[in-house]
Amino acid sequence: MTDILADVAERRPAVSTRDGRAAQDVLRRAGEASALVLVSLADGPKHGYALIRDIREIAGVELGPGTLYGALDRLERLGLIESLPAEDRRHPYRITAPGAAALRVHLDSLERVSAAGRLRLRLGGV
Amino acid sequence: MGGPRADRLVGTVLRCYPPRWRRRHAEEAAELAALLIRDGTPAGRVAWSYLAGAAREWLAPRPGWHRTAAACALLVAASSLGISAGLLASANPARAAGTSQAPAAARCRPAPPAAVPGVVPAPGRPPLILRGAGRGRPC
Repeated sequence: MTDILADVAERRPAVSTRDGRAAQDVLRRAGEASALVLVSLADGPKHGYALIRDIREIAGVELGPGTLYGALDRLERLGLIESLPAEDRRHPYRITAPGAAALRVHLDSLERVSAAGRLRLRLGGV
Repeated sequence: MGGPRADRLVGTVLRCYPPRWRRRHAEEAAELAALLIRDGTPAGRVAWSYLAGAAREWLAPRPGWHRTAAACALLVAASSLGISAGLLASANPARAAGTSQAPAAARCRPAPPAAVPGVVPAPGRPPLILRGAGRGRPC
């Protein structure tokens, strides 16, 4: 059991790509709001108001508008999302291919942490 | 709070953002705030979120920020070096003359009064005394 735990939490690289090379989890440094925005954009383009409502539904997190625009700007600077032409005054945003890859890497990393955490809770008997 | 007061509050807070951000997002952000307030989000909370976002925008490093910061640091360093050099230059002539400064106690020793030689005091008058005429140095 301890071996499994070590494998899950320590021996594997923090993140990995399909071709086996380690990839950097850029979203870890970008913050939780950025990851939530990418998750929300994963099924199609959305503008600010739709993003806030969607994130409230899927994560139960009330994202403030100031936080949202900070995350959008950061993700756009990183090339993980792109702004589409405005509809009225609203700018829809779309996830890019590097954004989808970064989201996959981040979700894989979260899954490993989650698995390690559950295993440790079970081993600790808490 | 709602209606014009909320609009005014949000508008005021949005003016705290840097101009480049306002050019890009201000209209959309105002509309988003109105929608959130209509949905029941307190206007104060929306305004606070924008205020925190504005602070982050001003503080966040931009592309080229490192170069500007390095240039400022160099300027400050050069200025302080210039001031130090100026101070040293103003202190140097005294040293160049070879006048090493003695400790204050030795420099300022009170001299005992001494009578001026060759001056005969008038009868009934005290002898003429010059201060600093003794072994000590005048202060």
